[in-house]
Amino acid sequence: MIPRPAHLIESVLLVSARPIEPGDLASATGLPTREVQDALYELETRYSPESSGIILRNVAGGYQLATNPACAASVERFRQELRPTPLSNAAHEVLSCALYLGPLTRAAVSAARGVNSDAVVRGLLERGLLAEAGSDKGIPGSPALLAVTDEFLASAGAASREDFPSLETLVAPEELDRLRQRLNEAREREAPPAPDGV
Amino acid sequence: MNSSATSGEVSRPLASFTVELDVYSGPYEWLLALILKEEVEIFEVPLREIVDLYLNSRPEGGPDALERDTEFVGSAASLVLLKSRTLFPALESEEPDEEPALSPEQLADRLTAYLKVKRGSEYLRERFDANSGFHASAHALRPRPGRLRIDAARLQHAARRTFSRPIEPPTAHLGPITLTIQELAAWIRSSLVRGPLSYEDLVRDMDRLHAAVTFAASLSLANEGHLTLSQSDPLGPLTFLPAV
Repeated sequence: MIPRPAHLIESVLLVSARPIEPGDLASATGLPTREVQDALYELETRYSPESSGIILRNVAGGYQLATNPACAASVERFRQELRPTPLSNAAHEVLSCALYLGPLTRAAVSAARGVNSDAVVRGLLERGLLAEAGSDKGIPGSPALLAVTDEFLASAGAASREDFPSLETLVAPEELDRLRQRLNEAREREAPPAPDGV
Repeated sequence: MNSSATSGEVSRPLASFTVELDVYSGPYEWLLALILKEEVEIFEVPLREIVDLYLNSRPEGGPDALERDTEFVGSAASLVLLKSRTLFPALESEEPDEEPALSPEQLADRLTAYLKVKRGSEYLRERFDANSGFHASAHALRPRPGRLRIDAARLQHAARRTFSRPIEPPTAHLGPITLTIQELAAWIRSSLVRGPLSYEDLVRDMDRLHAAVTFAASLSLANEGHLTLSQSDPLGPLTFLPAV
């Protein structure tokens, strides 16, 4: 039997836990890029959430076979394991800094959040959601720069960083206006009273 | 003089007490050392959980029971003080290396930037939650060549930190605190009987220290389930609601 391109792609995807880029699929199977794309399109149709317990995900710049989230409870019961502990609010904030403001140093993360974030960063490095990507040569000591990883993109179901909305669209202008108004009110409350005769 | 310390050996009543927390798992004494060295963020440490863990693991009786309990109460009280103090960084204004005061415009810019980061984090939480049910095919590939590298300098640094002695806790900041979190918590609970409370109203006539301790007391009560904190917007009014 001569396997069809979709069969080759399917078998390579099955044995990989991490997403595989189309170029790597082409190298592994010896197929031209065009045939790889056609095969991926065929597999996307076959492994759609509506028709299969396995689905084809396009995440972190590549493709990955994964179980259908609708079947997650059964899978987790069979494997007798719980999902990883959900991330804390602090961890999400650090990831938000790295995604939208990064790559940036630990000190820059702490400055953006207004609180020391080293312990949170360490936890995210251990979980593989953050990684050190180079260093800032312009700062004494050349501290490491932190960036989000492919694991982060896969966990967020994103094909790339461009899949996330910009920060500006996440905050309504009215909300920023309210914040500034409250700051002004707080400033006026704390301002010392004007001396007599002024 | 009675002492449980033998010749050449320092008495450590809490040496066998270990804790299992989200942010740390291991000996309690090491946790204290990590907090003092700022390796673990005090904000992330649930103090009430530590107290519960101690009470649950505390052996009944024994020759050093009093010494052990005293040691724990002393260290736990220090953690509460440290956390309360950290909640109110303005109290550190006498520090010589203090960050220069921000102008109102700088403060507004910083808070605006933080609000954006905060909204970004909320969006990320939704995406992580929505994608938590995927399980990738179970064959993990070996790491790519070059992925596993051990930096000798970093290894040496980590070893130095692991085997270095904990620094003595600073006590210069400990001033005469005349009101305890327990007293304030009792006061808040009795006031909540009449309905929701505004934090701003509650601390209107207080100085900054008491306002900070009141906030710490409200966090403890919320953690214990006696009240619910409600704040719709950053910097918005904070309301204490009676627990349902």
